[in-house]
Amino acid sequence: MKIKDIMLKNTTSVVPDCCLGEVVEIMAIQRINGIPVVDDEQKVVGFISQHDIIKELLPNYLGIINSSSFITEFIQLSKKLKEYANHKVKEFMKKNIITINEEDNEVMAADLLIRNRIHHLPVVRDGYLVGIVTMRDLLKAMIEEEENEQDKIQ
Amino acid sequence: MITTVTLNPALDITMELDKLVPDRYNAIKTVSRIPGGKGINISKAIRVFDLDTMALGFLGGHAGHFVAEQLRDYGITTNFWHIEEETRTNVVIIEKDKKTHTLLSDPGPKITKHDLDRFIAIFSRVMAQSKIVAISGSLPKDVPDDIYQKLIKIAQEKNVQTILDAPDIPFKKGLEAKPFLAKPDLRASKNRIFNKQVDSCETAINIAREIVNRGIQIAVISYHDTKDIIATQDRVWLAESIDQQAVNIVGTAEAVIAGFAIKFAQEKKEDMVDIIKFAMACGLASALTDEEEFHTQEDVIKCLSCIKVSELK
Repeated sequence: MKIKDIMLKNTTSVVPDCCLGEVVEIMAIQRINGIPVVDDEQKVVGFISQHDIIKELLPNYLGIINSSSFITEFIQLSKKLKEYANHKVKEFMKKNIITINEEDNEVMAADLLIRNRIHHLPVVRDGYLVGIVTMRDLLKAMIEEEENEQDKIQ
Repeated sequence: MITTVTLNPALDITMELDKLVPDRYNAIKTVSRIPGGKGINISKAIRVFDLDTMALGFLGGHAGHFVAEQLRDYGITTNFWHIEEETRTNVVIIEKDKKTHTLLSDPGPKITKHDLDRFIAIFSRVMAQSKIVAISGSLPKDVPDDIYQKLIKIAQEKNVQTILDAPDIPFKKGLEAKPFLAKPDLRASKNRIFNKQVDSCETAINIAREIVNRGIQIAVISYHDTKDIIATQDRVWLAESIDQQAVNIVGTAEAVIAGFAIKFAQEKKEDMVDIIKFAMACGLASALTDEEEFHTQEDVIKCLSCIKVSELK
């Protein structure tokens, strides 16, 4: 399977100078938890996720999310978010990002996701963003392939 | 990549029942939910030919999410700016007994200046990976009527070929930026443009010439369900579809634009007559189906023999 046949063909992205508040709004409105960061020509230069934002604003928050102090810390996180709402994405984004070519396959994508402990892989063609692939997309594609195989046998 | 712009997309819901009885429970026989809007229809037609296409514009709310997901299912890349208000929903009620179609049209969401600025930024970035951009359709509330002119200029700065298919004032303002191909949508203006009524071959030729005289490379004027005039700087053609009975002319204009965009994207040196034939065959194939677009490449190929293109002196 080629990545171009599996990926989510959504190229929602932000630029490095976009404000953090706007990125959070895009994530909420589009129900996504990570966005590729692109330059003026839609070439991928970074990635920003909810995880990156929380980790940067309140480093210990992710560690205590399952404990009872999570509510008091949540108020703290909310204050921090307001405080940093006008800061730029480039301050928070991952710069050394891993991407995958649309002609590569699902095995390579799974390997990159697992080995690098990441949840999203921006998909590129000649450096331009053309989609995004997650482990969920890979699993879905594998199940569909299995079902198609079963149908052929029957 | 062929990019399409739909600033005022819709979720088109068609409900079919035998008879609609007011103040009573009415059971619907069939219902379909399809993403609509001129640019979106162009992208859908382009996907039939397995070419890459990206749809841009505004989407909002549940209807917006549904439209985006459907488009991706068609294989269309989406890069919409999501707004707070809900994408409009158009409802068509088909009563089989009376053979009527009743359209309930939603005025659509409000677009803020912030939304428009963000859309223009997306459009500008995406031009780097586009060969052709088709800018089409009506404008949502509060969007300035020179927006298409602005978009065409941005595209031209990045050497992207531009196609304009719009109604009335947005079309006239868009022409000032000299798009590569221009086709007025005459439905909203009751077939009037440049203070002239387009009701014959002669008036269509005059309008087409007036458009190319303004510096546009190709003008396309549909003056009849089955007849179009196509003009370049020094030549004029009449394209007619013959021996076929149209089933549904909704979406025909978008299919014609898709046909031109497909041919331009292929970058083959083809005679203009062949390009026109292909574009008109796309339009005819669309008119011969119940839905807005044709379903297969074969549908279009079959229609090629039903298109007659003659050069007018």
